[in-house]
Amino acid sequence: MKTRTSTRQDCPGDVALRQSRRGFFHRAADGVHGAALTYLLGRDVFAQEGLPTPTRQPASGGPRQVYDLSSRQTHFPARARSVIHLFMNGGPSQVDLFDPKPALDRMHGQSYFSEIAQDVSSPQQAGGLLRSPYKFAQYGDSGTIVSEVMPHLARQVDEIAVIRSMYNSHPNHEPALFKIHSGRLLPGRPALGAWVVYGLGTENQSLPAYVVLDDPLGLPVNTVQNWQAGFLPPVYQGSRIRSTGSPILNLRPEADRPAVIDRLQGDLLSRLDEIHRRQRPGMLQLDARIKSYELAARMQLEASDALDIGQESQRTLELYGVGKKPTDSYARRCLMARRLVERGVRFVQLYINGQIWDNHNGLQNGLKTACDRTDQPVAALLTDLKQRGLLNETLVVWGGEFGRLPIAQIPEGKDLSSAGRDHGPRGFSLWMAGGGIKGGVTYGGTDEIGFAAAENPVSIADWHATILHQLGLHHDHLFFDRNGLHEKLTDTFKPRVVKEILA
Amino acid sequence: MKRAPTRITAGRQIRNALCLLVLLGSGSLFVPVANAAETPQFETHIAPLFKRHCVKCHNAELRKADLDLSTPQGLFRGGESGPVLVSGDPEKSTLYEQVHEGAMPPAEESQLPAHDIETIRFWIKSGTPFVARIALAELTAAAEVSNHEIEPLMRLRCATCHGLRAKEGGLDVRSKAALLKGGKSGPAIVLGDPANSLLLKRIHAGEMPPDEKLIEAGVKPITVAEISRLERWIEIGAPEVLVAPDIASAEMDRLVSDEDRQHWSFRRLRPVAIPRASAFQDTAMVPRQPVDLFIVHKQQEQALQMAPEAEKLTLLRRITYDLTGLPPHPEDVEQFLVAEQPDAYERVVDRLLVSPRHGERWATFWLDAAGYADSEGKRSADPIRPYAYKYRDYVVRSFNVDKSYDRFLLEQIAGDELADYTDPAQVTEEIVDNLIATGFLRMAPDGTGSDVVNFVPERLEVMSDQIEIFGSTVLGLTIKCARCHSHKYDPIPQRDYYRLLAIFKGAFDEHDWLKPAFVPGQTKVQKAGRLLSIATPAELSQMTFRNRRIEQEIEQQQRKLTQLAVSVRQQHLEEQLKSVPADLRQPLRALLTVDPGKRGPRQRELAAQYEAKLALDDAMLKKHPAYKRAAVEIDRTIKSLQSEKVDRPQIRALWDRGVPSPTYVYRRGDYRQWSSLVGPGVPSVLTDGKTPFVYQPPWPNATKTGRRLALARWLVESDHPLTSRVMVNRIWKHHFGRGIVTTIDNFGKLGVPPSHPELLDWLANQFVQTGWSLKRLHRLLVTSQVYRQTSRVSSEQLRDDAENQWFTRMPLQRLDAEELRDSLLAVAGRLDERPFGRPDAVNVRKDGLVTSIGAEGSWRRSLYVRHRRKEMPTVLETFDLPQMNPACQQRPTSTVAQQALFLMNNTAVRALSQDFARRILGQTADPVAQVERAYLTALGHGPTAEEREVAVQTLLNLEAEFAALSNVAEQPQDSAEQALAVLCHTLMNSAAFLFVD
Repeated sequence: MKTRTSTRQDCPGDVALRQSRRGFFHRAADGVHGAALTYLLGRDVFAQEGLPTPTRQPASGGPRQVYDLSSRQTHFPARARSVIHLFMNGGPSQVDLFDPKPALDRMHGQSYFSEIAQDVSSPQQAGGLLRSPYKFAQYGDSGTIVSEVMPHLARQVDEIAVIRSMYNSHPNHEPALFKIHSGRLLPGRPALGAWVVYGLGTENQSLPAYVVLDDPLGLPVNTVQNWQAGFLPPVYQGSRIRSTGSPILNLRPEADRPAVIDRLQGDLLSRLDEIHRRQRPGMLQLDARIKSYELAARMQLEASDALDIGQESQRTLELYGVGKKPTDSYARRCLMARRLVERGVRFVQLYINGQIWDNHNGLQNGLKTACDRTDQPVAALLTDLKQRGLLNETLVVWGGEFGRLPIAQIPEGKDLSSAGRDHGPRGFSLWMAGGGIKGGVTYGGTDEIGFAAAENPVSIADWHATILHQLGLHHDHLFFDRNGLHEKLTDTFKPRVVKEILA
Repeated sequence: MKRAPTRITAGRQIRNALCLLVLLGSGSLFVPVANAAETPQFETHIAPLFKRHCVKCHNAELRKADLDLSTPQGLFRGGESGPVLVSGDPEKSTLYEQVHEGAMPPAEESQLPAHDIETIRFWIKSGTPFVARIALAELTAAAEVSNHEIEPLMRLRCATCHGLRAKEGGLDVRSKAALLKGGKSGPAIVLGDPANSLLLKRIHAGEMPPDEKLIEAGVKPITVAEISRLERWIEIGAPEVLVAPDIASAEMDRLVSDEDRQHWSFRRLRPVAIPRASAFQDTAMVPRQPVDLFIVHKQQEQALQMAPEAEKLTLLRRITYDLTGLPPHPEDVEQFLVAEQPDAYERVVDRLLVSPRHGERWATFWLDAAGYADSEGKRSADPIRPYAYKYRDYVVRSFNVDKSYDRFLLEQIAGDELADYTDPAQVTEEIVDNLIATGFLRMAPDGTGSDVVNFVPERLEVMSDQIEIFGSTVLGLTIKCARCHSHKYDPIPQRDYYRLLAIFKGAFDEHDWLKPAFVPGQTKVQKAGRLLSIATPAELSQMTFRNRRIEQEIEQQQRKLTQLAVSVRQQHLEEQLKSVPADLRQPLRALLTVDPGKRGPRQRELAAQYEAKLALDDAMLKKHPAYKRAAVEIDRTIKSLQSEKVDRPQIRALWDRGVPSPTYVYRRGDYRQWSSLVGPGVPSVLTDGKTPFVYQPPWPNATKTGRRLALARWLVESDHPLTSRVMVNRIWKHHFGRGIVTTIDNFGKLGVPPSHPELLDWLANQFVQTGWSLKRLHRLLVTSQVYRQTSRVSSEQLRDDAENQWFTRMPLQRLDAEELRDSLLAVAGRLDERPFGRPDAVNVRKDGLVTSIGAEGSWRRSLYVRHRRKEMPTVLETFDLPQMNPACQQRPTSTVAQQALFLMNNTAVRALSQDFARRILGQTADPVAQVERAYLTALGHGPTAEEREVAVQTLLNLEAEFAALSNVAEQPQDSAEQALAVLCHTLMNSAAFLFVD
């Protein structure tokens, strides 16, 4: 079984992983009554104890005969095998979280509108410069600065590299989301995760390669277009795994049938396919299709198992904040993310409903609420990955589509106490951890008031190239030949890998 | 003065220096040499000299070192190191220094003779004289900034409101003359005096372009650099330059050589001889079509052989899917099995070719290439295109009636220029079709319906996508690459992209843009920008008649409602009167019929006391049970009648509007960096490079340029190098699974050369000669022996022809997305064959499952399901339906677990398997016969003995299990049906169902 063995053996969750393959399937199968596909496993997967590993194909270049998710070779040695993308939709405010600006305290209330007029989306609500309502302090050995609303992350800062000089090129959510997810401001291009699994395939064929854990409370802006495959074959698009109901679309029938019926059907299908294949020797497509049915069967079992956080110890559940408000929902998804990368899923992306970071008003409470929901689970994820020896091969990235303006946004008829901040694409902060990223680093900077990236600006293409680089992929060599063009995630930009934050 | 019929490079030419251009362009043989007695003149001495030695590299296109010596303007403008001439001072002139020191021309070129160098020195020394009366100061000034920079700027920033479509304040800014004339407030510019030029005053005051109008007008504010250029232009007297667009002319094309034209696919089509049949007499192959001879010829060269013929029913299933996208009907299978005529197969082919399902199947391929979608794309909202379906139907109908491909192209590329549609009385069905066909050029994803993304760059993006679709689909060329730079591999200079763009400019103009149509509930402003409301008189009168009838029915319903109200009120009154003293009843009845104002005192008294009780007011009436139920019913009927009323027919079209803005090459594709002006033209490499692109308004007084019509007519020339080759290859690919040119959308240098070039050309010729008939082409291909080969592959074949490059077998092919869904419906007896019309809506479930909404338990073919980019039906997407961004030339094929999960677990598939089972059950109760029948229906053949045994045994076991599981009370029929449904579901999941041999 292609599960990453953990270096530590004292975690209760590992017990299940150490069980034999056969035992695992039997146990998992208990929870999956009536899945006809399960029976297919009885035929040759058990016998082989795993599928033969085909020769690994290179990550990119040229058309492929069949598009699948088999694991592929990197361009150069990788530092990370998986990515967990904690996407913070809405635009977290950099000057209130990672990028303190004493000048804002000094100049609080002063008008600054005319200097940045062209970048203010709602000019009629523009107020003066707004100091942060929160206190900042240095934490960890590195002395990384974080605001008081992220107390849990503050204890993990030595693992993370904060980039303070990110910038996007559009002040509206929709285009900015397309930009950060797919490199351009428009829909129709493949998402980062789609590119990664197109390039690398995945290590666990029994689970989707690119998993999206969206919030049961609702989809983000741009909905499913955030994880689209664009012009790549649809097989590379993100698969939503839901925490309620059937976790994967069509994973199980809506109405179960008695096991005996499923057994008869599974047997019949296998035998008919076998006769069909016997008459047609040398047809690789037929082998691939039969394999896809076996994989489907294994997915039924393994997906259920991977998402069953009930197998975790009480201590782990508490660490993430499962079972208590307001962390429960995000904690569950963080924990699932760990369980998925542990099993070799290549790319896991987490979303939150609506736009909790979109603090146009009521910043002081609103931003704190967003942190309260996510800070503990996120920090726990880092802790947990680290203690299991997974952090060094899992790239964790945290961030939104843009940042916010240093001036206040005051809703009509309200006063400064209910002020928020408008969208600010020219400068924002995000962080990366694990997967060969140097911990305890703060890179780049914005101008005096935190309006625009000033010192060592990092474009979204740079950031994409850096993520690919950690996965062993070169942004120029990971291309898809379309209409005579080599289409790339970084398009025609000339990105620079942010080497300064690499370990 | 006569305009030179020559290729005049778009440089910076001053109107009064036009005669120079004649000299420059015509390449006079007489080249006088300066003698001491005669002062050299530019036209007579210098221009010819430059032409001989310098212009090869320093021309308007190549501009080595950013220097253009082909025009006086270029000469005085200088190059990347600054000015090259100082009039009167040769020693300070770089140009003289370079030639004098022998640095130029470069070593590999022939050097200037000494007397030429002396001529140059003498000319500079003499103050650079011209024959023509020419103001040197103006020349240098124009070189600095001319109308050539200012006119496009005015178009970009001002002309939306002060130009062609609107003249706000009476002002038109598109030319110097118009600016001088000005508007209501007086002249817009004062020559030499920017400070007093109204235009600049308003700009400096921040009033123009007005902030509040920017977004609506699709204009971005003018930049500081642009303002200073404008200032300078006015300051130096607004010099004007004669701008002659760069078009193909008799002059040699320096950017595309005759060698470039020798690439196999750029050569015009020539007749090809069929290989002699006698050469194949010793092979077992019986040639049925000339195609076979070409294929065998190549196979022999490779020491390969054709595979044996496939079994009869394999052929039937293959050809049925191939020509209709559906499985054969069981009856067809049975008939074919017993058919003994030698041409039984050909009869099947002919039957399928006339089936209405044929056009639906083959439309899919064309719609993929055209990028068909029912939504605009480009934005998260992905608004619906409500009338796109008419184009889809047009394609289906065209294929069904075997519209000739040349006509098909003419209509799609220039349908609006084929016939005058302005007189409603003259509109014919053909004219309507012409206009619908132009929907082909409206398929690119387009976000410009939203004002915030409707600026010039977004519009250029739409145009670029449309050029890409046109280039790949019709020409098999990646022309789009030349938008930002000359093509890296193919001889398509950037100039040619913009010449092509100029052809489309009459309809696609970034400075005169029609926004996507109004969509109820989706867009705010009603602007039917891309819709033509045109119909035949017959259609219109039919519509009027139909609407009038509906109106009458509605009136009748309303009368019913009124009557009901009267009777309910009456009933209420009578009931209430029962509780009123008997002697008052009659007066009260009378009272209620009298208008309140006309009642007497006694009546008013009575009314005050009783009216509220006796009479139902409107609100009460609506709540009255006797009224409410019937009223709801009638309301519903009226609503449904209303919805049946036909709006005036709308056509989503593209049409030339007659006044295209000039086309400039955008350096690096950047709309703010306009360089040379070009005129319409087709890629030089596909022509002799010398023949001008000729066009004219398509009919007298037409407000159309006729450019696209000229393009279309050029495309369908019988020996066009690409049109027929690209199309026959596309058709071949869809029949044989592999193109003769495998890169079906790239016949350029990066494309793969044809495996069978003679066959390709023969087919292309044949296609053209048989009137561009697609059905004849289909028939020719599918009745060949090559097509009838088995798909079984031997180990020798796998070794010697692994890729099937030599067509030594037919490929085993997986059903594509539409075939799969349509087949599931067909075998279940749930396929609704109603064609055409508005696409069927989809249902998007919260968990992401997207399904089409059927009618009365049936669903139409996948082609008719709404293709909205952001919500494609899950079944189609799972089986590789591509997203149209902007189009798809070749679909990928994936094999993943999600496909198995879908077929195995999806509720709709399971329900269809039950329908399938009931269908079989209605035919026979015998398990063996049921298995036979299920096989025949799903797979187009009966089971083998082994399959029969396995299937029947399982069926019996299933039935026994179901019987044991069910309650005694249940019908035995149920267990039989349930068992059979499992068998049917298994067949729907089987490899035999999913793949076609």
